[in-house]
Amino acid sequence: MSLLRGLAIPAALILLWQGLAMWHDLQSDTLAAPREIILALGAALTGSTIWKDTADTFAAGGLGLALGFGLGAATGVLFGILPPLSRLMRVTVELLRPLPSISIVPIALLIFGFGYSLEIAIVAFATYFPVLVLTENAVRQIEPRLWEVARALDLSFAARVIKIVVPAVVPRLFVALRLAAGIALIVAITVEIAANPMGLGARLMQASASLRPADMFATLFWVAYLGWLLNWVMLRLQGLLFPATRGAPR
Amino acid sequence: MTKVMGPADGSGLLQIQSACVSFGAVEVLAGVDLELRKGEFVCVIGPSGSGKTTLLRLLAGLLPPTSGSVTFRGKAHTKPSRDVAIVFQDYANALLPWRTAEANVSLALEAAGVPRAQRPARIRELLNKVGLGNSTQKYPTEMSGGMQQRLQIARCLAQEPDVLLMDEPFGALDAMTRQKLQDEVLAIVAESSVTAFFVTHDLEEAIYLGDRIIALEPNPGRVCRVFDVNLPRPRNQLSTREMPEFLRLRRELFDFIQQFEQ
Amino acid sequence: MKASRQMFWFLASVGVFVVLLAGWQALADARLLPRAFFPGPDLTWRALQRGLASGDMLQDTFTTLRRLALGWALASVIGVGLGAIVGTSAWARAWVAPMFEALRPLPASAIAPVVMLLLGLTDAMILTLIAFGALWPMLLTTVHGFSSIHPRRLEVAQSLGLSRVELIWKIALPGALPDIMSGLRLGLTVALILVVVGEMITVQGGLGSSILLAARAFNAPGIFAGIAVLGVIGLVTNAFFAWVEKYALRWQRR
Repeated sequence: MSLLRGLAIPAALILLWQGLAMWHDLQSDTLAAPREIILALGAALTGSTIWKDTADTFAAGGLGLALGFGLGAATGVLFGILPPLSRLMRVTVELLRPLPSISIVPIALLIFGFGYSLEIAIVAFATYFPVLVLTENAVRQIEPRLWEVARALDLSFAARVIKIVVPAVVPRLFVALRLAAGIALIVAITVEIAANPMGLGARLMQASASLRPADMFATLFWVAYLGWLLNWVMLRLQGLLFPATRGAPR
Repeated sequence: MTKVMGPADGSGLLQIQSACVSFGAVEVLAGVDLELRKGEFVCVIGPSGSGKTTLLRLLAGLLPPTSGSVTFRGKAHTKPSRDVAIVFQDYANALLPWRTAEANVSLALEAAGVPRAQRPARIRELLNKVGLGNSTQKYPTEMSGGMQQRLQIARCLAQEPDVLLMDEPFGALDAMTRQKLQDEVLAIVAESSVTAFFVTHDLEEAIYLGDRIIALEPNPGRVCRVFDVNLPRPRNQLSTREMPEFLRLRRELFDFIQQFEQ
Repeated sequence: MKASRQMFWFLASVGVFVVLLAGWQALADARLLPRAFFPGPDLTWRALQRGLASGDMLQDTFTTLRRLALGWALASVIGVGLGAIVGTSAWARAWVAPMFEALRPLPASAIAPVVMLLLGLTDAMILTLIAFGALWPMLLTTVHGFSSIHPRRLEVAQSLGLSRVELIWKIALPGALPDIMSGLRLGLTVALILVVVGEMITVQGGLGSSILLAARAFNAPGIFAGIAVLGVIGLVTNAFFAWVEKYALRWQRR
């Protein structure tokens, strides 16, 4: 019922758009009627290029995420269990963190040229700091009792990390992964729009530059759907794997 | 301000007549009759599930009865009125954390349309009355639980209510603070001749404060017995609690509650 | 005691940053880093000085700041305004909010091609891109803030006899303020990214175009100088916001 209510307004808007397009016999370089967009999307999805572009975006985004998340989580754990290290690095981190990730595109472009490496580097940079901060906070908020237990049992540093930190932090680490995955997709597409001639972002830009609005909107809806799907899948996984995190921020 | 007098007998200020309240299939209150007379202090006790809070919300006008009626000064009481103030148990949610003590009291004056120039003096007087004269600029998060509850009482008094409804107001406070606040509430009620309705799960608190104690029974909630408290006023935390009448009532109430515990 | 310890750690951490910069300089001097990509702090500093002296960089910085401020302000007005309307109306929440939620994961930059097609490579295109992209976090947090008033506060409002306007102005708005502030700050982060994206696409001046042009000219010091200025903008706007937030939400402190 609530789903139907939620769909009512978008459906009405699309119908209105279609109605106006038919009424005015829309012939435009910048807008397309919903019917044309649906046809374009159908044609694209039955072809092969959109799947290649999707795969490119997800490959670059995924590898960048893996790199950024791995490094970010490792640094975060280290900072979390060694507070002096975190305090020493504070100024450096706080200076680099607010840097808009997209601004390092030109320098990465000089180093890597166009292609996967460029995009992977930017996505890794963009996901590194959020994951670092979330992980450090997660480690910090481990129940102090657990630390006392670790001390009472005289656990080694390695044992403390493996037996106390990891199990206590993994659920929250997954939340960080989910948020970072969203960032990765956004940044990958942004890099493709701003510079890198590959993937879904470049597809959007090409459709726009060659005045094919139907293709452009079809790709835009596809991107929106993928973003929604990624979020949905990650939320589902989180709920399945860590039922206790269901109340966590979305 | 001239006060409209109640019905002909002049006693029933706030009245409930054979009220039932159901939430879906669950009957919470079944056929409750209750009359609050002007100036009296009525306490309500009962085991959990007997609808104490529902009864209070009915009197507050926050909840319409499923059947039956609630009348205030002889007129149907269907929505909250400024003349019926409510002290909630969860003071942290009932206060506005972004307003200082002073500004929280001011909210009631603003709502009542008191001119800006008259507010500071009124606020000062009310905060002094509840013992917060030195904390006017503090935010609720900077205050202890007891102070926050005092602040909520001050805001309710700013409404100049005829009836003061209190829903387990001291339930979350420690024993010492509780006793101090009990005495303060008694003093305030005596001074302003407001009619008080006090929900509690503390039997001794009910005897110590009340003129009358309504005992509810659960599933569904009904008025089971009414106890008259014939203890002299002003009451005293030590001597009143040692009086034979106090101990007798305590025994009776205890036996009453005990029958619902398995 | 506590303050002096904080000061100590702050200075130590500044020291670490300086050491890292010096290390970068040493690596650059020893030709251990490819000079074409990592020119070292000295060359970056010189490029920054040159840019500021010639006025080009100042002009670009000003252009970027103007777009950032205008786009963000536009987004705030629309996002918070619309959010307040949707958040305070149960009807709008039921019918409209699901659409907002569904659009939330859409990358804001993905609409850049659409805006480009509609408005061309213009200043207006950049502003629209920023405003549209930064609007969503503000809208969603504002809706959340307004729709999560504690029911007790509504009862207090009823009991005191507050009017609907008073309820929104005195209870709902201050209660939603923490959420609105976090939305405004999130929107600022998005806006800074989008101003750079927009300038890279349109090449209509600003720091985004200047670093892209520097890259085309293989002028690495120029890129680093531009990135440094963008970093400072990010840092200063964030710090300013943290300060405003701390003041506006001072009642939250315990």
